[in-house]
Amino acid sequence: MSGLLGTMWIALGGLEAQQAGLQTSTNNVANLNTPGYTRERPIFEENDPIIEGDIAFGGGVQVTGIQSLRDNLLDMQISDETQQQSQAQAYVNAMNQVQTLFPDDTSGIGAQISAFFQSLNNLATDPSDLTLRQDVLSSANNMASAFSSTANQLTQTSQQLDLDVQQQVQQVNQITQQIAALNTQLAEVSSTGQDYASYLDQRTNLIQQLSGLIDVSQVTDGTSLTLTTKQGTALVVDGNAYALSTSPDSNGVQQIYSAQGNEITSQISGGSLGGILQTRDETIPALQTQLDSLASGLVQALNTAHQMGTDLNGNPGGDLFQPITGPGAAASMAVAITDPALLAAGSDGSSGSSGNIANLTAVASQFVSDGMTPSGAYGNLVFQVGTNISDGNTELNASTAMLQQLQQQQSSVSGVSLDEEASSLLLYQRAYQASAEAITAVNQMLETVINMGAQT
Amino acid sequence: MRISPDLEQLVLSALSVSDQDEQTALQQLTTGRRVNQASDDPAAAAAEVNIAYQIDSCDQYQRSISSIGSELETADSSLNSAVTAIQSAISLGVEGANSTLSQSNRNTIAQEISGISQQVLSVANLSYNGHYVFAGTADAQPPYVTNSSSPGGVEYQGNDDVNSVEIEPGQSIAVNQPGSQLFSAAGANVFEALSDLVNALEDPNSTSDQIGSATNEVRNAYDQLTSARTFYGNTVDQITSTQNFLGNESIQLSQQQNNTVGVDMNVAATDLTNAEEARSATVQAAATVNDLSLMDYLSTINAS
Repeated sequence: MSGLLGTMWIALGGLEAQQAGLQTSTNNVANLNTPGYTRERPIFEENDPIIEGDIAFGGGVQVTGIQSLRDNLLDMQISDETQQQSQAQAYVNAMNQVQTLFPDDTSGIGAQISAFFQSLNNLATDPSDLTLRQDVLSSANNMASAFSSTANQLTQTSQQLDLDVQQQVQQVNQITQQIAALNTQLAEVSSTGQDYASYLDQRTNLIQQLSGLIDVSQVTDGTSLTLTTKQGTALVVDGNAYALSTSPDSNGVQQIYSAQGNEITSQISGGSLGGILQTRDETIPALQTQLDSLASGLVQALNTAHQMGTDLNGNPGGDLFQPITGPGAAASMAVAITDPALLAAGSDGSSGSSGNIANLTAVASQFVSDGMTPSGAYGNLVFQVGTNISDGNTELNASTAMLQQLQQQQSSVSGVSLDEEASSLLLYQRAYQASAEAITAVNQMLETVINMGAQT
Repeated sequence: MRISPDLEQLVLSALSVSDQDEQTALQQLTTGRRVNQASDDPAAAAAEVNIAYQIDSCDQYQRSISSIGSELETADSSLNSAVTAIQSAISLGVEGANSTLSQSNRNTIAQEISGISQQVLSVANLSYNGHYVFAGTADAQPPYVTNSSSPGGVEYQGNDDVNSVEIEPGQSIAVNQPGSQLFSAAGANVFEALSDLVNALEDPNSTSDQIGSATNEVRNAYDQLTSARTFYGNTVDQITSTQNFLGNESIQLSQQQNNTVGVDMNVAATDLTNAEEARSATVQAAATVNDLSLMDYLSTINAS
């Protein structure tokens, strides 16, 4: 037995331990709504016993550390799922803008193609009527501008995405710098044996933010951390951040380069950058190619038909539309004639002949683009845009549900529960009160001992 | 097992799901469409592009038919008056062949027939909406002009071409009959026949037989005209029946469009109710859950 003073020390240790517990719980409650916070709990350990003869008396309690309740595997899974979820989200967001360019009913290219062929059919009822001829030219102009404005807006969407790429690469660089700085701090703190849980929380939080932007692979070893893209481009190695950069290629499209100067644009598959790049570099160009093919196929077929006929003056027809071909065809679609008399509706040189209209309207059922009729090819574009988005939505929903589940799991390990903290607070408070009572008791006993020899 | 204390996240995501369902149902109800953007149902949206084209075409065929219909009917009734006039010329020819008639009577009849010839000429030069109906496709100029060197004194300046108009998918009909088929067919020229009859009547040396044979010439031209003009009656019949067909087609296409992209109002209304119920249930559950925190009892316990 260690005597009264020893008992006093045990009670004091209890006070300190309960206070540590109280502080930890209070800290948990304070960080209830802090993103990325991992709940902590004090590690209480019994002191070595005091052995007297055969008897071992308990030596009280000490706090040996504060434990952060995290699950590293879950953190990594969340990081991976965040990359997929952000990728799908960015893709769907970008494609929703594209979708408005391809309406399926009363506006857009499809409606204008239809209106053009209807105006031709109408002209057949009175082929020398200048008003009806003007109607055909107006419809042709409307159709051409529907093509060119759709193509131009696709390009604008692409350019907007280009700006997003630049901004997000900057954000990636900011975050990797912050992570590298944290790594340096972590290394210092851990080398002095201090508790570094809050640094880990911050770092995990930053890695999740980074995962929202770009695909990330992480290798950790103690406090050491290496972050790369999935394809192995270094982003952070311990205290060093490797900044990505952007630079326009010959077409003015921003490409992404590693710190070593290698072009890595096509390697980026995750995070919002992944979704943006997929839209900008795969989906939109594919749509543009089809749109160009439809525009040039349609123009070529209509020009061929137009040249078979004769105009109001009896002359052979020329080009109805400016000849276009290849990339940029849709954007530059334009009607070649402004004089309605030059419309080659006739087949025999007479002003009243409508003989060539049948050749022109026949284009509506000709395979002008990839084995499809004009409105069939446009329908196919609508289908593709729709499918792209609905596939993206399916992926997004699955990924969001998965991410939510993982976050719930993580929260069940690391989240702060008010109920739990309330009961902990009560326990620490009661234990603190009891230890304080013990000190009072020891104090009174000591007073008794001190006064034992005093004369009264 | 430790339950995740972060219930707000669950509540929020449940709310966002029911909000989205509610929004979808509401949009469907207000637009009457199940497919409001291509991603709602890509195949249906693509199909609608095609259906919309067919509906537009159907509307246009109907407009075309009413445009050409009035011209065809005008042509038909004008031809009818020409036929009636030529009929009376034949009667006059038969009357003029009567040997008891004096030359002055025959001259009067010849004058009448000349008048009929002018009447037929004006029908042959019928103009509709700025173009000449019986000129073939050279319809900017009157097809028949006076020319003393031509047989019958009238020359055909039109051509033999026929225009067509598409009136239903893949089917076109001819919409004019050139004058060369109606009035000035080879061997059956109305103007030549009438002129020959007038000449025969005016010639005092003409025999009844000669006048009779000139009248037969007119009969011959009459037969050609009546047979060629059936084109107009037939065409009017055909476009009337096509118009009926297109009317039905239009209704069917609208139904098809509705089946493809339209919404079943009952389903959408039920969806809306379900989404609203789900939402209010979630809100109630969230309120209940958030009430239950041990913190609320702390003060009570400490006070005791």
